[in-house]
Amino acid sequence: MRILRLILARLVASAFTLVLVSVVVVVGVQGLPGDAAARILGREAPAAARARLREELNLDGPLVGRYLHWAGGAVRGDFGTSFASRLPVAGFLGPRLLHTLALSALALLFYVPLSILPALVQARRPDGPLDRAITVVTVLILSAPEFLSATLLLFAFAVIWPLFPPMVQLTAGMGWGAYLHMLLLPAATLGLLLATYGVRLLRESLIDIHRADFVRMAEFKGLSDRRVLWRHVLPNALIPWMNATALNIAFMIGGVVVVEKVFAFPGFGSALVDALQLRDLPVITAGVMVAAAIFILVNLLADIGALLASPRLRTLG
Amino acid sequence: MRLRLPHAALRWGLAILVLHALMAGFGPLVAPYGQAQMMAGMPIEGASLAHPFGTDQMGRDVFSRALAGGWIVISLSVAGTLAGVVLGAAVGLFAGTVGGWADEVLMRLSEAFLAIPFLIFALLIVSLAGPGLQGSPGLLVGVVAAVYLPRVARMSRAAALEVVARDHVLAARLRGEGAWTIARREVLPNAIGVLLVEFAVRAGYAPILVGTLGFLGFGLKPPTPEWGLMMAEYRNLLTTQPWAVFGPGLMLATLVIGLNLFTEGLSAMASRAGPGRGP
Repeated sequence: MRILRLILARLVASAFTLVLVSVVVVVGVQGLPGDAAARILGREAPAAARARLREELNLDGPLVGRYLHWAGGAVRGDFGTSFASRLPVAGFLGPRLLHTLALSALALLFYVPLSILPALVQARRPDGPLDRAITVVTVLILSAPEFLSATLLLFAFAVIWPLFPPMVQLTAGMGWGAYLHMLLLPAATLGLLLATYGVRLLRESLIDIHRADFVRMAEFKGLSDRRVLWRHVLPNALIPWMNATALNIAFMIGGVVVVEKVFAFPGFGSALVDALQLRDLPVITAGVMVAAAIFILVNLLADIGALLASPRLRTLG
Repeated sequence: MRLRLPHAALRWGLAILVLHALMAGFGPLVAPYGQAQMMAGMPIEGASLAHPFGTDQMGRDVFSRALAGGWIVISLSVAGTLAGVVLGAAVGLFAGTVGGWADEVLMRLSEAFLAIPFLIFALLIVSLAGPGLQGSPGLLVGVVAAVYLPRVARMSRAAALEVVARDHVLAARLRGEGAWTIARREVLPNAIGVLLVEFAVRAGYAPILVGTLGFLGFGLKPPTPEWGLMMAEYRNLLTTQPWAVFGPGLMLATLVIGLNLFTEGLSAMASRAGPGRGP
């Protein structure tokens, strides 16, 4: 029952963080000193237009009331009306978010083998030529800005060797095959960018665990190399890897903004960037909250996963 | 990853950084063309000896522009990182020293800021700053600092917690000194090593952050030759003159590789985890 209590405590802490984020964001977006309406419309806008916008965006009145107004709508799924597109924010961001979730899911399919297989190869002969070569490649990818790596992949696979379209265009009636074709290159890019960090971490823990006593013991018992790897080394090395993966997914929420921009992918990230450029406050508030909520949720799941996976944490009070 | 010879990483990193510093400092003086000089060559020429990165739509020499961008990227990154580390250290050391509810409030607040993905947080600040400030170097320094502040605060709080248990801190408390004085006189000198490595690790990501903001249109404004912004400006030359895109990208990537190798060596010696991904 101790584990249930631990999970419950994490749940409560996460919910608290989410509420705190919403306060920070709503107050930040609405409560900054200066006239938000003037920031949106420019200082030259007529006073009447500014007043109308202030009214529409609920910018007048005390901050506490405005926060409660926003939160009351948010829990009912009502994030207001987009100031630029005149659509309800939820109805506008929802479909974009679905595209991005599809992209991310596909990216994870690339991420898992791309982060596990090189690490297994490296850990077979630490400091051998293959290990070093893979290390150099991962360090290079890690050091390059995401927009550079993504542009390089776009250049390689959409310009030099035009397997994929250089710009992602999603239409309402397109079939699954065409949809997948559009998503494949950005998803592979995202998966590859995330995988490098996982590779480095998994290599370290594979090598560490291989040196651990219980693995030595298994080897002395005469178990085959393969059996030692699959039964003893890999399962233990995958626990920190899962944690890193959670961090990576959290990072992906930011990285997706860059990848979507490079491939002109009409997803959540590009919608948020557009809103930020237009100072579309209702969309900005909702978008930042969605990103933070996903981040918190992923971290929560990783924590719970670590609790369930680790016998030591399970019994620790 | 730990290179087996930390000194080799340190040496290589230092060599690359010195080269970049020389390019940033003297590059604009010896550049073949002025960075804003139009028709330095024919428009959209490919890479050649006369134009190592080719020319752009206006016939400007991309290499000369990229050389001129070096000191901009480096000074913005250093200033932003420095501000973030100093402010973050002040908050973190104070929180760790004073403890109690102030510590609790500061840490919960930093958790809330850290829950917003850092790039989105950075874009949010630029957007909320309004059109008047957008594109100004000062705002960019502030954004880098704001992204690093909560991260550095948590690191330095952890460092402070190790120090405050020691006797000399207890002695200072018994002398009746305030938390701020203790943080400055007793805790800071003992945490300075952690903070220096922290600075190096953060500095390694700052050029990427500056470049990403430029690339997304939230950084400096054209015609500033900032590398990320240049890559965005030349995006539509990708099929005809890819050097215009990848030349500035190469400058940025090598700078970051130099910073990361340097930090890798430094942190291997200080036995702290080296640079990972992200700020």
